[in-house]
Amino acid sequence: MLRVDRRLLVQFDWQLFGLAGCLIVAGLVTVSTLVPRLGARQLIALGIATVAAMVVLAVDYRTLARWACWGYGLGLVTLLGVLLVGRAAMGARRWIAVGPVSLQPSELFKLAFIGTLAVYLASRESSRPGWDRLIVPLALTLPAVALIVKQPDLGTALTLLPVAAALILVGGARWRHLGMLAGCGLAVLPVFWFLLRDYQRERILVFIDPSRDPLGSAWNVIQAKITIGSGQLAGKGLFGGTQSRLAFLPERHTDFVFAAFAESWGFLGAMGLLVVYVLLVLRGFEVAATARDTLGSLLATGATVLLATQALVNLGMVTGLLPVVGIPLPFVSYGGSALLTAVGAVALIANVRMRRFA
Amino acid sequence: MIRSRPAPVAPRLRLRLLATGLGLAFLAVAGQLANLQILSGERMAALSDRNRLRLRPIVAPRGILFDRAGLPLVDNRPAFTLVVVPRDVPDLDALVGRLAELLAVPVSELKERLARVSSDSPWPIRLSRGLTLDEVARIEEWRLDLPGVTVEVEPQRAYPGVRFAAHLLGYVREASDQDLGRNGMRRGDLVGQTGLERLHDGHLRGRDGGEQVEVDAYGRMIRILDRQEPVPGAHMWTTIDRRIQQAAEDALGARAGAIVVMDPRNGDVLALTSHPAYPVERFSRPLDRETWLALVQDPTRPLLNRAVQGIYPPGSLFKIVVAAAALQSQVITPFDRLSCPRQWVFGGRPYHNWEDHDRGALTLHEALQFSCNTYFYQLGLKLGPEKIVQMAGAFGLGRVTESGLTGERSGLVPSPAWKRETLKDKWHPGDTVSLSIGQGLITVTPLQVARMMAAVANGGTLWKPRLVDRVATADGRLLHEEAPEIQGRVEMAPVIFEFLREALGAVVAEGTGKQARVPGVTVGGKTGTAQTHEFRSDADRKRRDQDHAWFAGFAPLDEPQVVVVVFAERAGLGGQVAAPIAREVLKAVFLEKVARADLPR
Repeated sequence: MLRVDRRLLVQFDWQLFGLAGCLIVAGLVTVSTLVPRLGARQLIALGIATVAAMVVLAVDYRTLARWACWGYGLGLVTLLGVLLVGRAAMGARRWIAVGPVSLQPSELFKLAFIGTLAVYLASRESSRPGWDRLIVPLALTLPAVALIVKQPDLGTALTLLPVAAALILVGGARWRHLGMLAGCGLAVLPVFWFLLRDYQRERILVFIDPSRDPLGSAWNVIQAKITIGSGQLAGKGLFGGTQSRLAFLPERHTDFVFAAFAESWGFLGAMGLLVVYVLLVLRGFEVAATARDTLGSLLATGATVLLATQALVNLGMVTGLLPVVGIPLPFVSYGGSALLTAVGAVALIANVRMRRFA
Repeated sequence: MIRSRPAPVAPRLRLRLLATGLGLAFLAVAGQLANLQILSGERMAALSDRNRLRLRPIVAPRGILFDRAGLPLVDNRPAFTLVVVPRDVPDLDALVGRLAELLAVPVSELKERLARVSSDSPWPIRLSRGLTLDEVARIEEWRLDLPGVTVEVEPQRAYPGVRFAAHLLGYVREASDQDLGRNGMRRGDLVGQTGLERLHDGHLRGRDGGEQVEVDAYGRMIRILDRQEPVPGAHMWTTIDRRIQQAAEDALGARAGAIVVMDPRNGDVLALTSHPAYPVERFSRPLDRETWLALVQDPTRPLLNRAVQGIYPPGSLFKIVVAAAALQSQVITPFDRLSCPRQWVFGGRPYHNWEDHDRGALTLHEALQFSCNTYFYQLGLKLGPEKIVQMAGAFGLGRVTESGLTGERSGLVPSPAWKRETLKDKWHPGDTVSLSIGQGLITVTPLQVARMMAAVANGGTLWKPRLVDRVATADGRLLHEEAPEIQGRVEMAPVIFEFLREALGAVVAEGTGKQARVPGVTVGGKTGTAQTHEFRSDADRKRRDQDHAWFAGFAPLDEPQVVVVVFAERAGLGGQVAAPIAREVLKAVFLEKVARADLPR
């Protein structure tokens, strides 16, 4: 058994885990009403995630961050290996089977990535901020993003970019440099995009996201919108969701789970869920602002931004504000690896908070 | 290291900035939720009520096939398609029964179309294509009794004639179950199966668009919610000359056979026809068992593209190869003579000439001109099989032309080695005798003969038959381009080519090919009459109407611009049957020259 300082237990962040618990319960209930047998499986995943959270809490985040660097290196090698030899296993690239459990390595890679960036930026805290605060994190980010895009897993790649940007920002890069970075990014993207011809653009989009289909994804979105909208103010009740139950809604228990939730609970329920996310994110930032050292602050920032962007991209997609990219809604969507990552992120934030006086 | 207070580890300003940005994003989601659930909530609830949304595909028009002058070979025209959405139909069996009655088709045919989809499917299924106006009127009349049924207007292939260039153009058919999913094909998509339609099918097909429409309880459209325009298929410019193609089809008429017209300067195929043909358009609709069996079992074999899938003995056409081999290996010179008796006995067996009189000793030039069999028996024996086979290979015989047309066959040039390996039999001198007049086991396709004659005409260049010039979208974006391609070269002294062209000119001018003469144009060529069975009685020998008639020629003699190959199946003598057909084709090719020559002086 790990030796746990009793003082730490006092500092256990009930609020953070309470908020995450609300989301998890909402997800479990929704998934169970849609596909009952999956609810039980999600419970097993929750059990594993709880154990993992306890381990994360028990180990000092400075130690965890060191482990994360190894995890990051290992992840890169794995991704590269999969790219080089993985041709035969085309469809199964994103998954690794460990006994009866199959794991999505790119999910856990997100946390290792945050740890690595945080370790680097924290190690530079006493030096004068220079280009290194920008270049090195970018050098750590872009190859990983490229490899994950190749997997192909656009969703994960897209969540890494805002996380990296947030860490660079909070990590103390100079405003002038940040401005240049933003300018370059904005300038290069459209130029590159408009240099392409129509069919090349289409090809790239199809390559990145094979499910892209002029009728298919547009159909999904309008069905999701109808599902959400038909919930109106108060919702149709737990078992009243005709849209989601009749299978008009695609991927209703994974990426589009929010639509089913909003159909059952209406605008009030959906807003409630949204408020929980906002409170969770605010709590994360509070932890980042009061952390003991820069490393802790950066870890909390990264984990918070990760959860926030995942939630936002998913909600934006389901409500038709953003194009369709396959990203699950953290805590709520069905899927063990995603749940493990989300709970891990929360545990990381709590870990930083517990040790803010130590 | 202990610090007195929490260090100002991260700039609070930056954290606040981040939090504000994310908060605004959450606010946007909240706004969209209010929009969907409060503002449009009622409408969305109504839409979800029976889920009145349908996805209606808009078919992309298939690319047009043009001839070399830009005239359409195959076009599109709007056609009526009967569509049903199973989900909107309360009683499918009753509906199918009523439709079968209205359209006068068997119930089983309609059932078959619905068999592979769920009866609850919200996706439209095409039940029948190409409805007549009459049928559409009947459907509309019964509209209220036909819930879930609509008549859509979709582009359909429009062919210039029922059987015009059927084998060349090929047909389109609905994607089979194996096709589905491949290259994004959906049920009901039309796919090029044979001929030109099959080449570059992916480009020709384009990409379907679609509409999200709101429908009423009868499945009738109330409004369009969203629309994605289809991307029309790219057009294909072929090397075909529609006028020459038409002339070739007319010239062949009702005879079974094939005609290939090729430009010997670059291998462009100007016309390619095969008869009998099948009704192309009929193939885009599902065939019933009877029609299918009738086509497959038809003894005239209308599904066989004789120009590339038919293999036949070349008969006397092959004497060109033997003559070339003899001159190249210097077994004979243009000045030497060999006898041309009525009958020539070898190995105790009499071999006959096709003429009944002795022509005396002939030069090679004369032997080609009169197509003397007994002369070539002797020449072939002098030469030996190896040299003949080698020359035949150089001219591309026994090898597919890689034209890209479906099911192309290679034919066969038998050699001693081949016979030993495949038939486990010794090569007899009698085999050489047969081979030297293009009989026995040797077979060729009409397209191979065209490639060979083009090489004779152009001085030895073996061109790949080129059918497609380019594929490009309507707005001019080039997707595919094919340049003329050389497949090989017949290495032979230029004087030998000159000799062959001269001799072939004499064939048409005053030899067996006289009937291919065209006013105003000099023509060179060779006739061929290929026996279709080996052993014949003396009386049988006189009845030659069961033989294949060949004519392969080019014009003008001094500067060949066109090669014409005519093959007429079991039609008689090459000089009497095939040569006049070639003349008609050549007249169409050289229309102006012929017209000028016809003017009274």
